[in-house]
Amino acid sequence: MGKAIRLSGLIILLVALLPPVGLRAQEMRPHSMLVLDQSDRRGPFYYQIFAALRAEVGAHAHAPTTVYSESLDLTRFGGEAYEDSLRQFLETKYRDRPIGVVVAVGTAALELVLRWRPSLWPQAPVVFALVEETEFARLRPPSFVTGGIVATKFADAVKAARAVVPNLTTIALVAEDWKRQLVFHNWKEEVEAGATDVRVIEIIGLPMEEVLERVSTLPENSAIVYSGLYSGRTGSYQPPAETLRLVAAKANRPIIVASETFIEPGGIGGFVLVPTTIGTDVARRALRILDGEIPERLPPSVIDAVKPVFNWHQMQHWNVSEASLPAGSRIELREPTVLEKYRWRAVMLAAALLVQAVLIAFLLHERHLRRKAEIEARNRLSQLAHINRQATAGELSSSIAHELNQPLGSILTNAETAELILGGVKPDLAEVREIISDIKRDDLRASEVIRRMRSLLKRAPFETKEIDLNLTMREAFDFLALQASARNVAFYLQTSPQALRVKGDPVQLQQVILNLIVNSMDAMAKMPYGRTIIGRTEVDGDASAVISISDSGPGIPQDKLNDIFDPFFTTKEQGMGIGLSIARTIVLAHSGQIWAENQSGGGAVFHLSLPLAA
Amino acid sequence: MPGFVHIVDDDASFRTALERRLRLAGYCVATYASALELLDRLPDNEAPGCILLDVRIPGMSGPELQRRLNELGSTLPIVFLTGHADTATTVQAIKAGAEDFLTKPIASEQLIEAINRGIARHDVARSQRTRLDALRTLLAKLTPRERQVFDLIVRGRINKQIAFELGTTERTVKAHRHQVMEKMQVQSLAELVSIAERLGTREADDKEQG
Repeated sequence: MGKAIRLSGLIILLVALLPPVGLRAQEMRPHSMLVLDQSDRRGPFYYQIFAALRAEVGAHAHAPTTVYSESLDLTRFGGEAYEDSLRQFLETKYRDRPIGVVVAVGTAALELVLRWRPSLWPQAPVVFALVEETEFARLRPPSFVTGGIVATKFADAVKAARAVVPNLTTIALVAEDWKRQLVFHNWKEEVEAGATDVRVIEIIGLPMEEVLERVSTLPENSAIVYSGLYSGRTGSYQPPAETLRLVAAKANRPIIVASETFIEPGGIGGFVLVPTTIGTDVARRALRILDGEIPERLPPSVIDAVKPVFNWHQMQHWNVSEASLPAGSRIELREPTVLEKYRWRAVMLAAALLVQAVLIAFLLHERHLRRKAEIEARNRLSQLAHINRQATAGELSSSIAHELNQPLGSILTNAETAELILGGVKPDLAEVREIISDIKRDDLRASEVIRRMRSLLKRAPFETKEIDLNLTMREAFDFLALQASARNVAFYLQTSPQALRVKGDPVQLQQVILNLIVNSMDAMAKMPYGRTIIGRTEVDGDASAVISISDSGPGIPQDKLNDIFDPFFTTKEQGMGIGLSIARTIVLAHSGQIWAENQSGGGAVFHLSLPLAA
Repeated sequence: MPGFVHIVDDDASFRTALERRLRLAGYCVATYASALELLDRLPDNEAPGCILLDVRIPGMSGPELQRRLNELGSTLPIVFLTGHADTATTVQAIKAGAEDFLTKPIASEQLIEAINRGIARHDVARSQRTRLDALRTLLAKLTPRERQVFDLIVRGRINKQIAFELGTTERTVKAHRHQVMEKMQVQSLAELVSIAERLGTREADDKEQG
């Protein structure tokens, strides 16, 4: 007995010396995992979960891990016989393959794994993914099971629908028959409980034709919630993402979805399951277990795999603004704006436009300055011209007084005569009538003199109108006729037969002619006799009118021909030397030309040409 | 005191107005459009009259015409009329003997006054000229010897001196002296001296001698 006690003590010691069972198991656990999908991995959702898992395992470089995977395809197939055949298949297939951890994707897969484990992988811990909270609660898996729990709530879909449709009253729930729904099965209770205060139209388990018919005739203020349809138009199987394309093409309302893979085919978005997050989470858990952690230390937990994600295209289509989306929403498929797309080109264009705008502004400014300067110059010219006219008027004042007093004298005398006649015994009324008509004529004469004087003294701003140069010329000659007779100068004027229409300031152009005539008269002042001035107007070609004023004076010395139009150049004793320079300034302001030459027969001739008005 | 008025003015209207007025006042009126026209038909210097002359007329000016008329020995008074009187022209015209210098427009009484003044002066001058002419005629009737005696008498020579100067006798001189007094139709030596004075013979002789 004592020996037996010793033996048992030794055994206890040995046992105590042995590493703990778990640790030993860890050492023995093969680095391999078997992934069992509940569905068909050719659909994008499961594919993305697996891809993320694969990527995570691949990144786990320090312990290369073999990944086996099977799609159980439980959405399409089911029944005891099928499940049993699957079990036999797996048993046969993996007889010689040690499995370190079993990964079950989906509640249905987890249920089967739990059922098969005792016979197939009695030692292997189980890691699950994509198990909904309520399902997890129902299964209450044992302690060797861990995994990420997801929370997909119908209430979230409604919340998303409200964000998209502000006055939401109705939700059309488009889904596969509840029995065949593996992921959103839990919505059934929520919908039936009427947990939300919207009306729910169930379009569930109906043939595709009818679904399409109904989604195209939904009322206002409604939204579609799509959880997945597996049957195509002809009843053949189709991944739910593909089916969604058909529905979206017909739907007259936005479609709320609960899976990230439903966004691209036409869902407007919602609180969606993100498969990569699920795949990554399950891979991490499985790898940690393969690395030796015991599942009990890694209890199942709810993972953050549901995100508000929305489709930018659909938002544009349904006119949904970003502001109305739930906080933290991510927007997918955002099309870059034109500016984003052509950023550099846009920047270059903007820069070019800016440079151009600056240039244009600068040029406009320049133009403005130039116009101002031009106006200023024109005003100066007007002022100078006015002073020159005043000087001319001063020179002509005795002529003008004479011209004015002449008719006034006649009027006075005539009036007195008439008075005397009327005061007589037998007034000669015929003569009185004659006298009165003379008075009227002389009165008009006087007022004409005054009008001319006023026009000369008028301080008019530069104005342009169409005038007949012949008239201007004749008026200037009339104006100076008396002065000419007093100074013994003979005037001759030959005007062109046709009118010479030019655009210009009538007062200033007349002044040019007056200046030229006065200049010629002054030039001949010392001649004893034979003072003659000939004025001529003619058309040169089709484009310009030419005026010439020739005199019989001494002419201009050859070396002075170029100087005579300069300001303050004068050959007269009392001249200021501004008459001709003003004449030139005025002519240039009218885009014309002025020049002087000597005539072969003696005397000078001044020409000025002005463009004819079109 | 109507007379003959000659109007020279290039302004037909003014000419007509003046002509009308002056005819109404009783003058005879002749009008001329230019200086040359007047020179072509020179007015009668002897008839009582007056020239109304515009300063500014084409061709020959007013003052130029005035000079020309003076040269031609016209004594007709000239009244200038001008639309604009400048001092230089006025002074020149008055110096050259213009009767008056008036500015248009002019009240006709003022004008007529000036015209009358001119005509009156012309009249006086004319009558004076007529009397002198008569004395000259008388003087011309003296024989050369009598003229010599006349010249010496008015210089205050006594008969004896005259006889000595002319180389004749005192008796003969007395006879000549009597003839002279008779022919010159004077009663006294004083009258004879006065005539000599008016005709200007004394000064001329003085100069000859001096």
